Amino acid sequence: MRPVAAVQDPDPGRNAVNVKMTSLTRRFGRSYAVAGVSLATGPGVFGLLGPNGAGKTSLLRMMATVISPTSGTLRLLGRDPGSRRQRTQIRRRLGYLPQNLGYYPGFTVAEFVEYFALLKDMPPARIRGAVAAAVEQVGLENSARSKLRTLSGGMLRRAGIAQAIVNQPELLLLDEPTAGLDPEQRVAFRGLLRDFGQRATVIVSTHLVEDVGAACSEVALMDCGRLVFHGTPGQLAGRGQGHAAGGEPLERGYSAVLARARA
Amino acid sequence: MTAAEAPARSRPGRLPFRVPGRLLGLELRRNAIVWVLPLLAVLLWLTSTTKVNVGPWNLRGIRLHQAMLGLAPFAAGIAAWMGSREDRRGTTDLMAVAVLSRWTARLVTWAATICWVEAAYLVYAGVVYGVTARQSAWAGSFWWPVAVGAAAAAAACALGFAAGAFIPGRFAAALAAAGLFLAIAAGMFASQHGYGLLSPERPGALNTGIFYPYLPDLAIAQVIFLAGLAAAALGALGLPTATGGPPLRRTAAVVTAAGLLAAGTGAALAGTARLEVNGVVIPALHDAASDRPVPYTPVCSHSVVPICVHPAYQAYLPAVTTALAPVLSQVAGLPDAPVRAIQAPTPASLGNGNTISPAGSPVSGHPPVLRLHLFGAGISTAEFISLVRLQAATAIVDSVTGGGPAGHGNGAQQAVAAALLKAGGVLLAGPGLRVPGPAPGTPAYAAAERFAALPAAARHAWLAAHQAALRAGHMTLAELP
Repeated sequence: MRPVAAVQDPDPGRNAVNVKMTSLTRRFGRSYAVAGVSLATGPGVFGLLGPNGAGKTSLLRMMATVISPTSGTLRLLGRDPGSRRQRTQIRRRLGYLPQNLGYYPGFTVAEFVEYFALLKDMPPARIRGAVAAAVEQVGLENSARSKLRTLSGGMLRRAGIAQAIVNQPELLLLDEPTAGLDPEQRVAFRGLLRDFGQRATVIVSTHLVEDVGAACSEVALMDCGRLVFHGTPGQLAGRGQGHAAGGEPLERGYSAVLARARA
Repeated sequence: MTAAEAPARSRPGRLPFRVPGRLLGLELRRNAIVWVLPLLAVLLWLTSTTKVNVGPWNLRGIRLHQAMLGLAPFAAGIAAWMGSREDRRGTTDLMAVAVLSRWTARLVTWAATICWVEAAYLVYAGVVYGVTARQSAWAGSFWWPVAVGAAAAAAACALGFAAGAFIPGRFAAALAAAGLFLAIAAGMFASQHGYGLLSPERPGALNTGIFYPYLPDLAIAQVIFLAGLAAAALGALGLPTATGGPPLRRTAAVVTAAGLLAAGTGAALAGTARLEVNGVVIPALHDAASDRPVPYTPVCSHSVVPICVHPAYQAYLPAVTTALAPVLSQVAGLPDAPVRAIQAPTPASLGNGNTISPAGSPVSGHPPVLRLHLFGAGISTAEFISLVRLQAATAIVDSVTGGGPAGHGNGAQQAVAAALLKAGGVLLAGPGLRVPGPAPGTPAYAAAERFAALPAAARHAWLAAHQAALRAGHMTLAELP
């Protein structure tokens, strides 16, 4: 399968390819979580859509260097994550929010973010300022000294986003980042995504198509481990013309692509 | 410029341990052990509390060893809880993408846990020794029990942490604590002359540091063994592929191998141990200078027959005097009666200190001297007095009558001995700690009752007049007053 080229941006500086995968496969036992995905993308916000079990999380975990591919090639930020030295360089430039965010309840928000900043090997002199900035960006500055066990689900999610962005990553991977956020927080978060997309590659895994429409410049749709669509949100909406299922254009496009892929 | 072309981020002027240092600060502040420190304090109190308010240095050193029975399983449990934290809290993915190696991060978490455990243990040891310093004269370098305890705490934390990391789950802490408790308890019942000595609960011996210089042979072997276990467990944390790159894993393998080698060395050393009067001797570690008794000036009572103890046991003198002065006064001035009672080195034993040695305390020498062996850990003052009487009273009257109150000697000797003991306040026969004597209803018992009822001066005068015949076994019950 040929890699799907990144959607071209009028600004040539933003057409660098930061994530490139070719025939990427990940197998767990006999089942394929990711089955031969080829994709390339550069700076901007990239939406990864798909139903539950489509393989989005496995793909994201491979991009986060948590798990390695069973086969295929993957290059992140121009580096090979299979090489230990280059993987370390990638991780230094990576931000990752897992789908199920684990946390230590006794830590405060600031300590939690600082903890992961230290694990990312950030220069200690920069950490205090970076932590404060990250916490402020997610709107938790008033809860910075609150213990994580006292936070709501939405606030915890924002704390998780703060730890992901504390090192100003060049590649930001967010798995279901808006889960648990209220509508106001979701709107603010989309603004944050767009802001990050100006200077980094942001890949957002979600099954909420409105997130994609509001924040993403590119979108890919996965189903059963395969990539069934890659284009702009407008192109996805266009695929839904004449399709009955779904209320919004993007939803209709989403349903139409899935229906055709499964046909 | 693309991200791929971007230069590696500069990391100017960083000290290699600055990041782990700051991580350690965070871990220290938020370690789970902080919440259970009061429980640890209660545990230490329970495992070390004694009904005796005083204690010489050697007995308090033994207390520090025995505290391991509570502290080590506790440390293992809390370390296992911390070791399983990533899995319990679901931070495995976040930890996996860290730049800092997972081994380093885990070592930092372990270090924070051990810092708290060691701090708690050192405070406890400080309190125990602080109290001892106010009660007893300094009697040698009793830092070794503290070192063994510190090494045991480190080993327990390392083993528990590794257990938690490799077998994570809600029950990891309980299993690690129970496992270590059983291991130490098994060590308590293991051979006193072999690998069972490696258990941190095992002290060297009672006499060490009192009558002889502190003998650190066993403590050194224990520290080598425990430090080796700690290193092996911590090294093993870095062996899995996910915990770091090949260089780090090679380092972890070296640390593990060195730890196993050290633990094996400690075990091999303990295997060569033999018990001497001054403690456990390990030939490869032994300094012959430790075998020479330490000169001292005894502390004596002002009773009719002086009772003398080692200055380290000065706090015990009132109780020893209470136990023996009444009996000694019954025979004072008679031929062959002890003119003095002195504390002698305790027969070598690795027991828990609550047992009386079957060697007894014979009256010997010219002039006759009673040699006392004092134990006393973990018992009340009343029990201590009973034990001392049980040990020494019979020997005192035997020296005068030539036969004891029960079994050996003829009827007259038994009756006189029993009468003297009764007059000296010693309980005869019956339940509890009592010296055996003639059975009630027997002629010897009646004669003893009759003789004991005489005024002290009359008894003493009769004994002075008839002692030679009594000792020779020429007197009968009928000839007793």
